[in-house]
Amino acid sequence: MNTELTERYLQAAIAGLPTSTQDDVRTELTALIMDATEDRTEQGVDPVEAERAVLTELGDPAILAAEYADRPLQLIGPRFYLTWKRLLILLLWIVPPVALVGVAISQALVGAPMGALIGESLGVALSTAVHVAFWVTVVFAALERTGAQTGVEWDVDQLPELQSSGTTRTDTIASVVLAGVFSAALIWDQLRGAVRLEGESLSLLNPELWPTWILALVALLVLEVALAVVVLIRGRWTGMLAALNTALAVAFISWALTLIGRGELINPEFIDLALHANGVDEPTVRIIAVILAVAVVASSMWDIVDGWLKARRDRRH
Amino acid sequence: MSDSHDLHLQELRRGTVVLACLQLLRTPGYGYGLLEDLERHGFATDANTLYPLLRRLEKQGFLTSEWNTEEARPRKFYRTSDEGERLADTLTTDWRALTGAITSLTTESPRAEES
Repeated sequence: MNTELTERYLQAAIAGLPTSTQDDVRTELTALIMDATEDRTEQGVDPVEAERAVLTELGDPAILAAEYADRPLQLIGPRFYLTWKRLLILLLWIVPPVALVGVAISQALVGAPMGALIGESLGVALSTAVHVAFWVTVVFAALERTGAQTGVEWDVDQLPELQSSGTTRTDTIASVVLAGVFSAALIWDQLRGAVRLEGESLSLLNPELWPTWILALVALLVLEVALAVVVLIRGRWTGMLAALNTALAVAFISWALTLIGRGELINPEFIDLALHANGVDEPTVRIIAVILAVAVVASSMWDIVDGWLKARRDRRH
Repeated sequence: MSDSHDLHLQELRRGTVVLACLQLLRTPGYGYGLLEDLERHGFATDANTLYPLLRRLEKQGFLTSEWNTEEARPRKFYRTSDEGERLADTLTTDWRALTGAITSLTTESPRAEES
């Protein structure tokens, strides 16, 4: 008959095992514990002490059970750890910011006060991050236990470029997030008005640009994102991609210059209220327009040159 | 001894217990008896490593088992299967090759650098 202590140990050790092997393991371990205890008592050790010593040496029954059942004693092992980490970081960079912006826009649309807007969007972003981390980890822990393959195999082409030419993941993520925020801001501006002057909501951009011109700009942003994703997947810039990048930049320049030239970019009501009402005369407004045009052209030109420089640098490696 | 020292020793010994079990169990034996035999031969092992190991080897088909209920307490007797014997032979051959290789590291004249 087993003592209470041994019985407790056996219970704990076989608890997680499949029922088919439970009795087997129990009988085997019982014999082991009794043999070992007997050995010690024969050497003159007190039986109770001997039993304690034997059980202590066997160690945590949960570990023994895991060894018996061939269960991993880690949540995510070396086979999946890096894939888990990479995916988690990527998702955490994308999902919570998008959720934050989305909630902020919807709060603004329903006219929530600033405090509620900030609190609500931060709260949602935080809980989104927790959810992403939790569920990704759950999936990988399950993979670890079912022995499935992720099908992700490393090969030498994945090595990072020697000289970081900007074809990094951070670039893509920044591009996605910025394009999202910018599109959202554009649409919000048209639907709700981004500027608040003398108690009145005004859109910054000309309301007559909605929907054709505004949606054309959003489409350009989407293409810009698609390009960034392609660059990320390819891991490098090519002449073709630089040419596409140039085409997009030129399209943006013509979009902006056409509207600035016609004086249709900015909401005329806004110019009246914000500039004319404050004593800014027509020539100054024209100068501001020119400065704006120059800024658009300069930044787009830089974007074009940047693409070609990166394409050339990547070709050399 | 330092931790890393022990760790290397442990790494080197890992796997030898499998070979020792397969060889000793050519004549049937049960867990606790095997534990003592291993210790006598210089393969000190803990019960909590050996018992799950025996079960794994059985599941892989390298050992067969049988309950012996003739004695006071029932014991599970393990025996090396044919497949287990083949594995033991392979491992032994490999171990000999390794012994030769390791000996050659120190006894052979250093590789002639001028040739």
